[in-house]
Formats: sequence, C-alpha cells, structure tokens
Amino acid sequence: MARIELSHVTKRWGGFYAVDDLDLLIDDNAFVTLLGPSGCGKTTTLRMIAGLETPTTGRITIDDMVVFDSDAGINIPPNKRRVGFLFQNYALWPNMTVFKNIAFGLSNIKEAGLSVTADGELIRDPKAGGTPRKLTKDEIKRIVDRVSAIVKIQPFMDRYPGELSGGQQQRVAIARTLAPSPRVLFMDEPLSNLDAKLRLEMRSELQRLHLSTGSTFVYVTHDQMEAMTLATKICLISNGVLQQYDEPLTVYNKPNNTFVADFVGNPAINFMNATGRQESDGSFSFKLLDKYEASFKPSEKIDLNDWYGVAEKEIAAFEAKVRPEEKTNKDVPFKYPVHMVNDEPDKEDFTREDFVIGVRPEFISITDDGPIEGEIFSAMPTGMETTVRVKVGNFLLTGVVFGGVTYKLGEKVRLKFTGDGTSIYSRINGRLIATGKLKVK
Amino acid sequence: MEAAKKQNVSNLRRKWNKFWTYISKPQNAILLVLGIILTVTTIYPMVTILNDTVQIHPGSIDAPDPNASGAKALEKEAEKEAAHFTLLGNEMTTYNWVNLFTGTEITRINRKRVEMAVAATYLIPALKNSVLISIFACFGAILYGGIFAYLVTRTNLRFKKYLSAIFIFPYIMPQWTLAVMWENLFDSAAITGGSDGLFASLFGINMPQWWCEGLFPVSLVLSIHYAPFAYILIGGIFRNMDANLEEAATILNTPRYKTFARVTLPLVKPAILSTILLVFSSAMGSYPIPHYLGLDTLSTRYVQMNADRAGQASILAVIMMLFGILIMIVNQKTTSGRKNYTTVTGKSGQSSLVNLRLARTPISILFILLTLFMGIFPIILFAVETFLPNPGDYSFLKGNTSALTTKWWLNNENVTEQGMYGQKGILYNAEIWNAFKGTFIVAICCALAAGIIGTLIGYCVSKNRRSKWAAYVNNIAFLPYLMPSLAVGVAFFILSANIPNLYNSFLLLILAGTVKYIPFASRSSLNSMMQLSGEIEEAAIIQDIPWWKRMGRIIIPIQKTSIISGFLLPFMTCLRELTLFMLLCGQGKIITTMLGYFDEMGLYAFSSGINLILIIMILAFNALINKLTGASIDSGIGGDS
Repeated sequence: MARIELSHVTKRWGGFYAVDDLDLLIDDNAFVTLLGPSGCGKTTTLRMIAGLETPTTGRITIDDMVVFDSDAGINIPPNKRRVGFLFQNYALWPNMTVFKNIAFGLSNIKEAGLSVTADGELIRDPKAGGTPRKLTKDEIKRIVDRVSAIVKIQPFMDRYPGELSGGQQQRVAIARTLAPSPRVLFMDEPLSNLDAKLRLEMRSELQRLHLSTGSTFVYVTHDQMEAMTLATKICLISNGVLQQYDEPLTVYNKPNNTFVADFVGNPAINFMNATGRQESDGSFSFKLLDKYEASFKPSEKIDLNDWYGVAEKEIAAFEAKVRPEEKTNKDVPFKYPVHMVNDEPDKEDFTREDFVIGVRPEFISITDDGPIEGEIFSAMPTGMETTVRVKVGNFLLTGVVFGGVTYKLGEKVRLKFTGDGTSIYSRINGRLIATGKLKVK
Repeated sequence: MEAAKKQNVSNLRRKWNKFWTYISKPQNAILLVLGIILTVTTIYPMVTILNDTVQIHPGSIDAPDPNASGAKALEKEAEKEAAHFTLLGNEMTTYNWVNLFTGTEITRINRKRVEMAVAATYLIPALKNSVLISIFACFGAILYGGIFAYLVTRTNLRFKKYLSAIFIFPYIMPQWTLAVMWENLFDSAAITGGSDGLFASLFGINMPQWWCEGLFPVSLVLSIHYAPFAYILIGGIFRNMDANLEEAATILNTPRYKTFARVTLPLVKPAILSTILLVFSSAMGSYPIPHYLGLDTLSTRYVQMNADRAGQASILAVIMMLFGILIMIVNQKTTSGRKNYTTVTGKSGQSSLVNLRLARTPISILFILLTLFMGIFPIILFAVETFLPNPGDYSFLKGNTSALTTKWWLNNENVTEQGMYGQKGILYNAEIWNAFKGTFIVAICCALAAGIIGTLIGYCVSKNRRSKWAAYVNNIAFLPYLMPSLAVGVAFFILSANIPNLYNSFLLLILAGTVKYIPFASRSSLNSMMQLSGEIEEAAIIQDIPWWKRMGRIIIPIQKTSIISGFLLPFMTCLRELTLFMLLCGQGKIITTMLGYFDEMGLYAFSSGINLILIIMILAFNALINKLTGASIDSGIGGDS
C-alpha cells in the first residue's frame, strides 16, 4: 500500500553520525529488514521514517507525500503519516485493558471516507469524500474483534497488560498496531524479548500477517537469521552507512564486502588471507593457509585492474563527501576475523596481490580425497547437523556436516573446498572482487 | 535578482517551517513558556535583592541624616556623600557595602564607648555561625540518618516497620517543634530566664547555658530535623544495592570492616553528597530554630537588621544566595560524575542481613527511645502545655490535678484576666481559624501551581533529554530549592515593596511558595518520567491521539503516585512554612506567623495548641494520602535529588 523513499538522509548529533547519507527505496508491499550490529543506526532510520526522530538533513517520502524535507523545512508529524509502529518492549498502556489498548486509537480517528466492512476491516479513503466522522462503538468493536482474531487474543480482552505473558503482550501490541489500518508497519526488534521457541513461531506468523494485510513492512533486527528468513529485501547498515541492500540470498551469496560476509551467515564465513595474482586467462592463483597453492575461477569474467579503477573512484567519491562537521565515529576498515590457534601479528601494508578469501562453512567438505590435511579441533553436533572446527596448521576452519556424524577430537581428517560460492575480496579495501570456484592443488 | 529573492523567501519560509515544527510539539512549547516565566520569577527577585543593596532606604543608615552633628557623625555623612552615585537617573549608594565590610561603629560595652568594626558586630559572627550550623547539621544528619539507614536495611534490627515510620516524623513536623521542645525541657529561670522547663520544675536540674542555647542545640536540632533526608537517600541505595557486590568481596575473604569501607561506603557516597547538598542550604536558611534557641546566624541577623540597616540586611541575603549558587555548582559537578554509580541499582538478590547478636535488642530499644523522644514526645508535650494554666507549671505531675485548665481551648468569653489578653480559646478564636484558613488557601494554591508546573517540567525535560534549553529550565526551576528559604523570602519581600498592594496579599505568598516548591514537584515528576519508556507515549502519537488525551489518559494515570507526591510535598511543606513567609505578610494572615505572634506575646499555650493541631493535621494528611494513593512524603524526598 505504500512506497517509501529516502534520499540523502543523515542524522547526526554533533560529529556523531548515526545515519550517514542514506538512500533507500522500499517498494510497495515489500518486507524490508534493516539489519546491523547494535548502534549502527537501524532503529534511528526506522524512527526517522515513522517521524519519531527528526533527520538532520535529507528527504523522505511515503507514497507521493513528502513527509520530511530539510531543504523545504517540511516535517509531517508522526501522527499524520498514518503508519503503524510496533515497539521492542510493546509499549502497551498498563492502565488500560487489552480491549481498551486496541480501541483507544480507533476511538480517536475522525476523518472523511471511513467505512468498516462486515468482517471488521477498517477502510480509510479520504478521497471518497463526505463529512469527517468518528467511528461508532459498534464499528470499533467489530474492528477490535477482527484484529484480535488475527492474533488470537480474544480470551484476554478484559485483562490488563501486566496479567499477560510476553508472547500475549506481543500479540496485543500487533493487534493495536493493525487496528487503524496503517499504510506501513514499522517494527523495531519486535521479537527480541521473546524466548527462542516463541520467536520462531511469531516469525512465521509475521510472515503470514504480511501476506494477509498487504501492507509494507519495515523491520529492524540485529538477528541476521530473522532478517534472512523474513525479508524480501535486507538493508544492511554499519556505522550509519549502507553496506548492502539486496534480496536475502544475494546478500548471503554475494556479500558486498567482508563486513557483510561476516555478519550474515551462521556459523560465520571462514576468512583466509592469501597472496596471489590474476593470470592471463582471467583465473586467480593463490597461496593460502601457509603452504597450499590454489586456483580460483570467477563465475563472471573480471579484470582486476579495471575493478580497482572503479573501486578507487567510488572510495574517493565517498571520502570527498562534504560534511558540515567531521565524522567522529570514523569509518574504519572492517577487521574480518581469521581464526587461528595462536594469534599471529599481521602485516599492515597491502598491495593488489593481497586477497581475502571467504568460504562458507557448507562449502568445506570432509572427505578422504581432500587435498588439505587437518585435525578435528572441536565438534558440535545438534542432531540435524554437526558444526566442526578443523585445525589446519595454525588456522581454524569451520565446516558444517549434515546428518548425525560424530568426530573424535584430535582425529586426522582431510578437507576440500566445494561449490562455486567462494568469494574473494581485496585486502586494501575489503570489497568483493568476485565469487567463483576455489580449488586447492 | 529574482532568483535571489525567491531564495530569500524560501529561506524565511524554511525557518518558519522549522520553528513551527519545533513549537508544535507540546513539550517544546511548554518548555519555552515555562523557561521564560521561571527565569523571571527566579532571577528577577534575585536581581532585586542585589539591587536593594545599593538603594538608599529612607530612615536607615544609608540615608543622609540632616540632623547629624559632631565630628564623627559629620565624618559619616561625608562618607555617605562619597558613596553616593547616580545610575540611569537613579540615586544609589555603595555605602551599605563599604560600611558593612570596612566601617566602624560606636557601641557601648559595659557602659564604655568602644569603636567596633561593623563587620565584627553584624556580619562575622552570624556568617561563622551559619556556616558552622550548616556543616554540623550535614554531619549530624548523615551520621544519625546513615547509621539508622544501615541498621534498618542491612541488619536484623527489631521493629523496623515502626522505626522507619516514626523516624521521619521530625522532618514532617514544623521545624521549630524540636526547638520549642528543647526549650520546654531544658530552659530554667536561673540560667536562661523566663519560665522553668520540665527538667527544672520537676527535677530541679538546671542545664548549663551551652546546652540550652546557641550552637550546640541548634546544630543538634537541625541534624535531627534533616536526618530523615539522609535516611531516605542513603537507605534507598542500601536497599537497591546489588548484594552481589558485597558478596563478591566476602567470597574473596575480605574482612567485613574492609568490605564496608572499600565497597559499601563508596557506593553510598552519591547519597551522602545529595544529603549535603540538600541539608546545607536548608540549614543555613532556617530561621525558627536559631531564633528559638538564641543563635546569631545570617537569618536571625537579617531579621534584626531589617529595620535600620535594610540595605546591609540585603547583603546578608546576597551572601546566603551565593551559598545557594555555590551548592548548585557543586551539585552540577557531582551529578555528572555520579552517573558511574547508576549501575548500582541492579536487581539484587536477597542480601544477607548482618546479625547484631547480643546488641540486637539493646540497639532496637535505644532507637525506639530516640524516635519516641524526637517524634512522639513533642506531640505529647505540646498537648500538655495547652492544659497548663501558666507556662512551665508542671505541678500537676506531682498530683495536683487542679493545676490543669481547659481555658486555652474552651474559653468563650472576652476576658483580659487569667493571662488571656482578650483572646478567646483556640476552639472559639476566630483569628486563629482565620489564619488556618489562610494557610490552607496558600497551601492548596501553592500545591496546585507548583504541582502542575513541576509535573509539566518533569514531563518536558524527560522528553527533551539532550536539549540544553530543557536542562536550563530544569536547573532554573531547581535553583530556589538550593536557595536558603530566608533569601527567597527576602527576594519576594523586596519585590513586594516595589509593587503596591502586593505585601500581605495571598498572591505574594502563593507566588513565593510556588517558586520555592516547584523543585519538589519537578524532581519527583522528572524521576518517574525518566523511568517511563518514551515508547509508551510514541505508541499513542503514532495513532494520532492528541496531546491532552495522551496526558490525561496515559501518562498521568500511569504516573499518578509520583504526581500526587509532587502535589503533596508542596502542600505539606506550605502548611508548616514560616521562614519563607514571615517577611511577606502580617501576623494574622497564616497560622505559622500567628504562632510566632503568640510566642512573642508569651501565650505559649496558644502556640503549643496551634503546633499540636498543625502536627496532627500534617501526619493525618500524610497517612490518609499514603493510604489512598500509595504516595507519601518520604518517597517524595527520596527521589534521586
């Protein structure tokens, strides 16, 4: 029902940039998650769209309505944006019963073009005309009945929020948000206060809800699993800067940089430092894990020098951005983790011959014909799968083996990299160079 | 040209839009209005005092004396002439300052004419005593209140519930209660003059001078009066302190005394600092206690000097104000550092209570006796006083029941004999009940005004936590709290001198009371609003619920307890306020000034009776409201102030 557009939105407190020049287009009926580590600016972004926070500069439109524009001095207050907001701690009004919590907002609507369908859906169409009116008691009751049926809370209508469990409170909060038929539904980590089992259940219900309401959902979370499973598109933010805005599987398979690669996926991606060069046939040859020689074949043709040319131009453009105040929360290159048994000092100056290789755990396979020698460092079976850490020289690689395989610690094994989902990054700027197939000789 | 013009217009338009967005948030609009009003009501009276020190007061020492004769007097006149100056067409003088700090004066000591420094007579002793009683009061209150707090929260003391209820009585009761009780107990015709107190008349014991009057009893009484502050603040931390912190030290095999000194005490430090901040200026501004117990302090000295040294009296008020400002600066400095301790209030497990062993019963009894003596005994004593035909005549205790009278309560005739001076008994005395009515008018209006403004400030400041303006409004509203009551009273007194018909009007009393008591309400409101998640209101904003409905249906119902405290505290304090109001109205206007009048007249039975009614009324109100709403005066002071 609504399309949201952010252009050059910045929110800063003095030199602290909570959100830094964010451009974002949220399609109608999308389910977008804003994902990132704590304090990265995702909640601030959400609150700015809802109008609960005022951006420092930029422009936000919902549908064709400019709700914020710093140049024109427009700032539509949140109550006029017709959005719904689901708060992290539910924010139910403790002094009202469940029924009153849901009905309170409805009893307050006064506008033209109101109608309520037989099964209790509120239609708000100001263009339909007529004189502004309020909803009748009967209409409110029908709407409340409908939304409480959606989230199955009818038995609790006369209780106070304090008398409900966390999951029930959450449902009441959802019902309250849905009741006035918002164009957009904003959710700020709505599941983080629930226990693991309930969270899984609510996740699937939210997905159904998205389908049945047809509203645009914008959802903040720091849980990459939640983002992956729910979203039609993930917007990954770090330090106020947009890192990647893509469909979940694209984010997973083609992460823009080492930060995205590391943040998405559980168990996390394996990083290996490598030195090497691009051969004349377009493939790369690397030396990795101290002693192994490997070759990498990109899925799509790429020229490393051209790639560097483009990347450097983009980085220069980013750094040349004019800022009214220097950013005190500086953007520092992401320190991707390379897991080692004993940590070693790393070199500091990088050339175009330095690469980072990222291999997802599912692309490491333990087979007798593998070229890499290792021994089991730790093994964590869950029944459905086993996460194993294999020690290769001083390095540790994490793999996932499906089925109930048991390993003995210290057992000697052989590894190989499979699939064509390996990604390589520049060590100079951490950006993705290519994805493809890695083969150890 | 055209483009530039367009740019200009849109610039203006943009600024207007920005301003409109800002002001259309109720909390911003309220802060703007309140900020301006409070700046005027707080800063303007302060400026008035400062201004008064350079004014020429006809009939006082700074005014030229046309009849001066003699070399010395003429020399003085020349000094006055020299100090004279004109600013913006107004006649002014620096004489008050010059004379107070450097001048000399001829006084008679033992019939000898001695030339004394003015400062040595009017300033130095009063200043010294004021600072001393403030320090001693802080020290005493923290020691007594702190020990009591530790015993109640951390040990297996007996009768905790009873003890902690009675312990705060001295604070709830009018300030002078304990001072008057002290007089009634220990004064004697032989040492202090006047009538015999209980000790003298019953046991024939004449307590020494230092025990009856001056620095010692004043400091002691102030300490007891303000100890509940220390108890509530320090006890609050003890109660909320995560027991794990101490247990961690115990597990590391740290001796108990070391744990106390290195872990417990540092955690209590912020509460101790808070107590000092609150007690220091309150003690300094107290008038009735040093007045009754005969100590020369800035506040008593002010009242003495107000007639013929009005300008110099204002200088004393300025000095008191400077202490208030100093305290505020210290407060500012310490609150920023105090944040480190906020993690202290964790969800503590059940902390193990220290076993007092053999000392348990003796300590419990000791505290029961102490609290009885300070909380219950004054009430009984006042009650007894009202039945004595003559002050200090305790002969009924020796079995002479005919030495009791009900005339102070029940006399319904206009008699001049029997020491009634034409006054009717308390129950029939229209003047007394009129004064009670006046007190109620002032207390109710102050409570409403201070409560509403304070609640709004608490709400708005909690909504604008980062805003400098909000912080300013919060501070300016809190400043009167740190100002000694007398200084605030003086400020409004001088103000009333410049505006016709203001003196002795309810408006003036209500204005002064409101300004002085807003901090009570703003503190308790701010504390609770800070704990209310902003999302609770945002959930309503998003649904387009108008501001007044959000306040009326969500915020206020949720916060009703602390908001009621915000109304209750000013109300209670107003009922028993003397220092703030005594300069602002005539004696019959409100009950506390009436009480002072009867005291001066020597009609102690009346003043005791009024005292008794006041105390019982305040305690009854506190109990009633506590029962009805759960709000109470102790939870109010207990804020994190």
